[in-house]
Amino acid sequence: MQNHVLARLLMLAAAVASLGARHAAPRQSPPRQLPALTPHDSALHALDRLAYGPRPGEVDAVAAGGVMNWIDGQLSPDQLDDRLVAERATAFRILRYDPRDLARLYAAARNERREGRQGGKDEEMGRRLAGEVEQLAVVRAALSRRQLYEVMVDFWANHFNVFFGKGADRVLAPSYIEETLRPRAFGKFADLLIATARSPAMLFYLDNWESVAPGSAPPAVTRPRLGARPWFGRGRYVPGFSREPAQADSQRQRVLERMPKGINENYARELLELHTLGVDGGYTQQDVIEVARIFTGWSIKRPQQGGGFEFHDWAHDDGEKTVLGVRFPAGHGTDEGVRLLKLLASLPATMHHVSRKLCQRLVNDDPPDGCVDDAVAAWKHSSGDMREVVRAIVHGPDFWAPQNIRAKVKTPLEFVVSAVRAVGGDPDTTPRLAQVVARLGQPLYRHVAPDGYPEREEAWVNSGALLDRMNVAVALAAGRLPGVTVALEAVAPATADAEQLIAAVNDGVLGGAMSDNTRRVIRDELAAAPDPVAARALAVGLTLGGPEFQRQ
Amino acid sequence: MSISRRVFVKSGGLALFSLGLDPLFLARAAFGSYRPLPSSTALYRPVLVCLFQRGAVDGLNMVVPHGESLYYRERPRIAVPASDVVDLDGHFGLHPQLAALKPLWDNKSLGVIHAVGSPDSTRSHFDAQDYMESGTPGVKSTADGWLNRYCRHDREHDDTPFRAVAFGPQLPRILAGSAPSLAIDDLQAFGLRAPEGAARDRLTRAFEQLYAGSATGLLSSSSQEAFEAVQLLRQANPAQYRPANDAEYPRGRLGRSLQQIAQLIKGNLGLQVAFADVTGWDTHVNQGGSEGQLAARLAELGQGLAAFARDLGDRLRDVVVLTMSEFGRTIRENGNIGTDHGHATAMLVMGGPVNGGRVLGRWPGLDPASRFEGRDLAVTTDFRDLFGEILARHLGATDLSAVFPGFTPDPTRFPGVMRD
Repeated sequence: MQNHVLARLLMLAAAVASLGARHAAPRQSPPRQLPALTPHDSALHALDRLAYGPRPGEVDAVAAGGVMNWIDGQLSPDQLDDRLVAERATAFRILRYDPRDLARLYAAARNERREGRQGGKDEEMGRRLAGEVEQLAVVRAALSRRQLYEVMVDFWANHFNVFFGKGADRVLAPSYIEETLRPRAFGKFADLLIATARSPAMLFYLDNWESVAPGSAPPAVTRPRLGARPWFGRGRYVPGFSREPAQADSQRQRVLERMPKGINENYARELLELHTLGVDGGYTQQDVIEVARIFTGWSIKRPQQGGGFEFHDWAHDDGEKTVLGVRFPAGHGTDEGVRLLKLLASLPATMHHVSRKLCQRLVNDDPPDGCVDDAVAAWKHSSGDMREVVRAIVHGPDFWAPQNIRAKVKTPLEFVVSAVRAVGGDPDTTPRLAQVVARLGQPLYRHVAPDGYPEREEAWVNSGALLDRMNVAVALAAGRLPGVTVALEAVAPATADAEQLIAAVNDGVLGGAMSDNTRRVIRDELAAAPDPVAARALAVGLTLGGPEFQRQ
Repeated sequence: MSISRRVFVKSGGLALFSLGLDPLFLARAAFGSYRPLPSSTALYRPVLVCLFQRGAVDGLNMVVPHGESLYYRERPRIAVPASDVVDLDGHFGLHPQLAALKPLWDNKSLGVIHAVGSPDSTRSHFDAQDYMESGTPGVKSTADGWLNRYCRHDREHDDTPFRAVAFGPQLPRILAGSAPSLAIDDLQAFGLRAPEGAARDRLTRAFEQLYAGSATGLLSSSSQEAFEAVQLLRQANPAQYRPANDAEYPRGRLGRSLQQIAQLIKGNLGLQVAFADVTGWDTHVNQGGSEGQLAARLAELGQGLAAFARDLGDRLRDVVVLTMSEFGRTIRENGNIGTDHGHATAMLVMGGPVNGGRVLGRWPGLDPASRFEGRDLAVTTDFRDLFGEILARHLGATDLSAVFPGFTPDPTRFPGVMRD
C-alpha cells in the first residue's frame, strides 16, 4: 500500500516536472529516473482528452505556453475570451425562444400540418429549431475556446440524460441544456443534482411530474367551483368546466379518471441508480419507494405549454419517510426532496460513482483506482466542487501515465468534432454536422434510456461503424461533407512532394503519431494521385479515417 | 483480445477478393490464422433471429389471459376486452394488433411461452437487459454476451463475416465478445463510398492496409471483419432485393431490419444469428388497451413478423425467430393508465422448426398468492431454459454450460418450443 502511494507520488512528480509549464509547480523535487512525456506529447494528450482534439498549430501553442497553464485556463472558462462562439450562437434562433415560445411554435406547426399546409412557415421554423439544439452542441465543441467546459457539459448531458424526443421534452429540453446544465457544469454536484431534479425536462422525462400520493386530487377538481381552471391531466389543458352542472360533473369525472392516481418510481430509481449512488450503491426497493414518496408533488406547470417547475402541495405524500435509514419527518413538503438530494450528493457511494465516471471519460475506459481515489479526495475536500474534482484527476499521475495515453477510442461525437478541428473546419448553423454524428450512432440528446451514451469502446467500435467513419473522413477531407467548410491549407501545403505532404499531415492531424505502416500506405496511394490538391485531400482523408486518428 | 479474436476471424471473403496481388497478404499472413472458407458451408444453415423488445413489454397485454377475471379486475382501463382478443386456446389470446400472426399460429409455426423471465428480481431496465444479454442473471461482471459465447463455442459451424449480425448502429451487449460479429445499420450503404467502382476498390484496399498494419485491439479485429463483409456483400448485391410473395414490411426500423435479415438469409451469406432491437415498450403512462400506444407497437411487430415469414417462404423451415424482453409489467395498472416494471413476461417463437400452436410454460396465474413479491406475474420458466433449448435443438449447440456459465442446463426443464 505504502509502496503504491510512493510510486504514484513519484510518477506524479515526474509527470508534472516534465510538462514544460512555467507554473507547473512540482509538488516534489523532481526525480529524474522515470520516463516522461515531452511537452509536445503532453500538450497533445491534454488536447485529446480535455478538448475535442487540437486545431492546426494548437499542440505547439499549448506546449510553448505550458500545458499546465493551458489546463488552469480551461478550468476557469469564464476567463477565456470566447467571442467567436458567442457571435456564432446569435445565429441559433433556438436561444431566443423560451419553452413557452417553443410550445406555441410547435403547436402552430402541428396545426399547419393538420390543416394540410405542408411546408408552412411555422412548420419550417419548428423543424429548423429542433435541429439547432444538436447542432449548437457540435458547433460549440468544434469552435469554443472553452474546450474543457464543453467536454463537461457533454458529460453532464449524458450523466443526467434526458431523451429530447419524448413528448413535451421537445420544448423543455433547450432550456435544460442552457439554464440547468451549462451554468453548473463546473459547479457543486449538489447544485447540479437539485437543478436537474427541479428541471421540467427531467420531471417530464422520468415521469415524476405525474407522481402523486395515492388518493390525492387537486383542489380544482374536488372543489366544485364552476368556471375554475381545473388541474389538467395528461398534459392537455382543459379549458374550464362547463357551467351546466350536469355536464360539469361528467367533465370533472373525466378529468379525475385521467389523473395520475399514485406514485411513479421511475425518477426515484434512476436518481439512485444512475445519478447518485450507482447500481451497487446499497439501496433497496423500499428506498426507491420512499424516495418516490418524497418527490410526490414535484411537478410541472403545463408541460405541453412549456411551463416551469411547480410543487403541488395536494399531491405530496405528507407521511414520514425513511431513506437509507435516514428519517424524513412528515410535513416538510418540497424541503424533503432538497434535503434528500443534498444527502445523496454527500454520500461516499455517490462520490465514488460519479468520480469513477469522470475518470472513465477523461482517463481510461477502465478507470484506475488511484484516479478515482484522487477524485473522491478532492470531492470531500471541496464539498463536491466539480472544478476541483476534475483538477485532481488532471493533476493526478494516472492522467499522464503512459498506459493511458491514446488508450481511449473516440466516440462518434469526439471523432467528428476532432476531425473537423484537425482540418481547421468551420461548421455552419444547419444541423448537417450534427446529423453526421447521429449517423455514426450518437444522435445527441436522443439516447432513449436514462443512462446516457456509453463511454466504453465496445459500444462504438464495430465493423459497420468503422466503415462509416472512413466515409466521413474521406468526405470531410475532400470538402464534400455538407455543412462544414475545411481549411486544408492550414494543415499542409498542396505539394507534389509526397514526403513533405505526409510529414505535414502527420504533424498537423496526428500530432506526430503516424505509424510507419500508415506512412507507407499513404505514400503508395499518393503515387496514383498526381493532382496536388486531390493528393492532399486523399492523404488527410486516409489519415482521419485511419486507425491512429480513432484513438485519443 | 485482438489476437484471440483474429484467430476466430477467417478470411472467408478474402479468397473471393478482387484485391488480388496483395502486399496485404503478407501483412495478413503475419497473423497466421487464415484458411479459406468452403462457400458451401454457408448454405442452409439453421438461423436464429432474436428481437429484443427493449423497455419491458407488457406480456399480459401482448398475450392476454382473457380467461381470467382477475386480469380484468386489475386493469379496468387498459385490459383488452375478450371480444377483441384473437383467441388462441380459450384461455389466452393475442392482442388484436397481432392478428397478422394468427395464420402462423394455425399452421403451428408460431408458439408462445408465457411467464418467462429472469431469476433475478431487479426491476431496473439496464440491469435486467444486461442480465438477459450477458446470460448471467445477477452477475454484472460477465464481459461478453450469450449469443457471442454460443458462436465462440460452437465450432460445428464455420465463421463467416455474416455469421452473427446485429442490425443497428451499435453492437449490442448480447453479441459482445471475442467471436466476430457485425453491426449493420443499412445493408445497402455498407462499405466505402466513392464516385465509381475502381476508386472505391482502391479506397477500400488502402483503408484495409491501414488497419491491417496499424490498428490495435478492437479497432483491428473490427476493421478486419468489416472488409471481409464488404467483399461478400458486394457479390450478393442487396440493392436488387425485392421481398417475395408480395410481403409488405411495415415502415420503420423493425421492418427494415427484418427485411435485411431476410436478404442475408436468402443471399446464403452464412448468417446464423441475427439480432435487432424493437423499442418503445416502456408504457408507464397511457398504455392503451385494444388501441393506443402499446397497440401501435404490437401492430408493427405483428406485421413485421408476418411479412418476414411470407418473404422467407420455404426458407422459414431453417429459421427460428425469438422475441425477448427484460421483464414484464405490473399486473395492476398504475395511476397513469399504464403499467410499471414487473417480473415475468411472454415471448413469441416463430419458424418452421417451432412446436407451434400452443402456449408453453407453466402458467402461474394472477392470483395474489402466486404472484412474485405479491404484485407481479411470477417467472416459471428461466429464460436460459428457453434460450438454451433453441440453441441446443435448433442450432445444435453442444455445450450449453459454456454459453450460460453458472447454470446447469437440464433438458427436462426445456419448455418444449422446438418440434421433435
